[in-house]
Amino acid sequence: MSFAAILALAIAGLVAAPYIAHRLRRQQAEERLFAATRLVPPTPPKARRRARLEDRGLFAIRGLSVIALALLGASPLVTCSRLALSRSGTSVAMAIVLDDSMSMRVVDASGRSRFQRAQEGAREILGALRDGDAAAIVLAGSPARVGLAATTDVGAARSALDGIAASDRATDLDGAVAIARTLVTELPQIDRRIIVLSDLADGKPDAPPLGEGSVLPVWVAMPELRATAGADDCGVLSADRAGGRARVRFACSSAGAAAGREVQIKDGDKVLATAPLPQTQMGEATLTVTVDEARELVAQLTGKDSIASDDTAPVVVEAGPAALAVVGDRNEEAVATGGAPVVEQALAALHVELAVRPIPQVPDRREDTAPFAAIIVDDPPGFTPEQRRALGSFVESGGVLLVTLGRRAAAAPLGANFEPLLTQAVGWDSSSVSGVEAASGATFFGEAAASLADLAPKGRAKLAEQDISAYEPLLKWTDSLPLVARRSRGRGEFWLTTLPFSVEVSDLALRPGFLALLDAFVTEAKHRATPRRGDVGVPWTFAGARTVEVQGPSGPLSPTRDDGTLRLVPTLAGAYRVTIDGAKELRVAAPLAREIDLRSRAVTPGATSSALGGGVAIVDVSWMIALALLALVAAELSSRALARSRAGQPDTARLG
Amino acid sequence: MKRTAGSTFPSKSPGLRRSIDWGSLAPLRIRARMVAEGVYAGAHRSARKGAGVEFGGHRAYTPGDDLRWLDVRSLLRHDHLLVRQFETETDRALRLVVDSTASMGYRGAKAPASKAAWASLVAAALARVAIRSGDPVGLGFIGGSPQALGVPVSGGREAFERVVDALESQSASGDALTNLETLDRALAALARSARRGSVVVVLSDLLDLPAEAAERISAVATRGRVVVVVQVLDPDEATFPFTETVRLRSLEGNVTVESDEAARDRYLAALGELQETWRRILVGRGASFLTMTTDQDPVAAVRSIIEAVL
Repeated sequence: MSFAAILALAIAGLVAAPYIAHRLRRQQAEERLFAATRLVPPTPPKARRRARLEDRGLFAIRGLSVIALALLGASPLVTCSRLALSRSGTSVAMAIVLDDSMSMRVVDASGRSRFQRAQEGAREILGALRDGDAAAIVLAGSPARVGLAATTDVGAARSALDGIAASDRATDLDGAVAIARTLVTELPQIDRRIIVLSDLADGKPDAPPLGEGSVLPVWVAMPELRATAGADDCGVLSADRAGGRARVRFACSSAGAAAGREVQIKDGDKVLATAPLPQTQMGEATLTVTVDEARELVAQLTGKDSIASDDTAPVVVEAGPAALAVVGDRNEEAVATGGAPVVEQALAALHVELAVRPIPQVPDRREDTAPFAAIIVDDPPGFTPEQRRALGSFVESGGVLLVTLGRRAAAAPLGANFEPLLTQAVGWDSSSVSGVEAASGATFFGEAAASLADLAPKGRAKLAEQDISAYEPLLKWTDSLPLVARRSRGRGEFWLTTLPFSVEVSDLALRPGFLALLDAFVTEAKHRATPRRGDVGVPWTFAGARTVEVQGPSGPLSPTRDDGTLRLVPTLAGAYRVTIDGAKELRVAAPLAREIDLRSRAVTPGATSSALGGGVAIVDVSWMIALALLALVAAELSSRALARSRAGQPDTARLG
Repeated sequence: MKRTAGSTFPSKSPGLRRSIDWGSLAPLRIRARMVAEGVYAGAHRSARKGAGVEFGGHRAYTPGDDLRWLDVRSLLRHDHLLVRQFETETDRALRLVVDSTASMGYRGAKAPASKAAWASLVAAALARVAIRSGDPVGLGFIGGSPQALGVPVSGGREAFERVVDALESQSASGDALTNLETLDRALAALARSARRGSVVVVLSDLLDLPAEAAERISAVATRGRVVVVVQVLDPDEATFPFTETVRLRSLEGNVTVESDEAARDRYLAALGELQETWRRILVGRGASFLTMTTDQDPVAAVRSIIEAVL
């Protein structure tokens, strides 16, 4: 028996002794015969009347004081199961990696999600911080990001933690640990640690153990979050509709998770089509849907699983991948050895994700530009008014237009100019040029710019001064005139080169720098041509848009402005109704298949070591109880003083 | 044995002794004569001699009857012992009713004797006065020992002896509260035999009588009878002297109450209400109601009763 137990028994004895003494002393009143007993009213015993409360407030204060005293005495014995760091005595710098990915939505038997438990654990860890300790918060939902830079302000850390919400992002544990390491490495504290609060389900169960090779100790603080018993999930990755068919792609944490489940296509509450879910870990179900394409349909999995948020997805009307149009005369631009024009071959070599579609002439209707994210026009002889209007509208709405200027451009017929690309006519300068200033394009083209240093064309297009000043040069000739330049207009961009792609004018198209130019152009086009469906966590940019309103699955969202461009990161899977400068469109954020794999990643043995921290700590609540006791004493003194002043007041009614 | 204050008997053996606690009032015979003498000293003697002028009928002879009123003709003719009654004699017969239920055995610390003893003394003195005045006397009991019989109405010196003997042989027992028959037995004979002008004196604490008692006793006051009800209380019952918490147990009705001095005011109010109820009912029927305590001078008590009768 420990000393504390003996002490507790002794205190219990002291408490019980007065009561026992009272019981022993207690005896019945003397019984007497009395003829008139029938007329005697019973009265409560005198002791009970004496014990009757006269000042309940004072009694309450004293009672609470006694309780507070007892608690004060017992406070050293109070322990509480909560997370706390093992400390060596020095101040600690810690980075808390909090996983806010979709797999953390799995709900355990207690009815709380893994994310809620991890957030609570983070609060407990922050609560154990002392003066001089520093904490940073890193969020492991993909892409990994800083939730709070290292700070010694615990209040700020708590506020930041409270502002973090669960999301449907994928998991990027490696990235988060790397960021965490960066955040605490430079801090002055000697004891630096990374605390991971995650289920470790990052879709890479076979990856190297987390924490392996880390220079800082990594502590996986809540290993119970990894419990996968009973955790099964199936989620809809995408639901597309084309013609009378709907294709629903799904993924499951295991093949067995799909057993007995179906996928339904619903219009509101009405079920339009149902198909059993194939018994595979990842697959596709095809359903026949005959309703009008204008109806907004939903693909939904029947049954229940660990994560409900990925069981439903909006059905998107399939529009095919965005395309890149190349305008040119295939006969004239075909290389001498045969085959497609050099620009098409270069695009094929780059393996761009956009479909390259050669078209014979520049579209002269806005509808004709709709399938394209980018248009390349090689040395056009000017644009007709219809073409100018169509191209202007195309760029305004987010398209990217690349126009190369050559001899034909310089010889544009009357009425066919380059508005709105250029305001003045284009000339042709046949004089020789002494190459390209590689340094001017180093930042944009990288090392490939050097390949253009000795470019020696037979001539080049000449722009008016005011047109040159309107463009941002990306690559300059040695005489500082632009070779490649661009200009924003609306949500899109104009690009131009003062050399055509024709190998008869220059060997530009044969140099590595040409591929770099096309790659930069295509990247910009893809960047602006955001598909209707994107991954959760991948930002949507609205370049050039003036106003963007977004209604997400959880309500209205406000895009942020980054370098003048509006951006929005969809953190939840589902439908987003986006209004860009008045034009409405439906976008969908879809979960990643690897996030549905709930298998946990291995960790190094040291990551779960109790030397880094544990789940039990003594809680020092004595100061709080002492404060409460002081407040009670003050309350009693005030109460007594008030009662005394009342008793001392003269009875004015009697005196008067 | 040392007496416990406020109790008839030692508290450890309640209810074992039922004989009357005479206290300082013993012996009854002598004390009654002394009381009667005191009454005489302060009052004139009755003008009535017992010899009436208007024949009032016959009644059966009872041992102790004055032989002067024995109807000789009836004896000779019918061999029946009958007594001739005259209005004067029959009208003023004193009928004493003494409550001998258990509650009357109570004696408090300040009382010279139990209520039953005090009531007996007053009753005997009244009998003495009446007999000395030539009025016949009868005695009845409410409750009490079944062996103790009442005394039929009779006159003469023997009548006093009979009354005293009956009172001395009585004990305080019985429960009139739960047993209404106890009261009815005492009053039925009275209502039947008491003639016009009879004086009925009821001596009782009235504490443990049933609710109907006031109505039944007041009903006797009809037909020209004079009824005086004397409530006899122990000083403890009149003042409620308890200061500590006590468990009080009634002598009738088996009621136990835990109480202390805080109940005094309410007790006295309840007692006053009881007395007022009796007074209202009795006075409404022409009867008189007196309240006396056992520490009161018996002579003054007898005088008060006689004054109430007159």
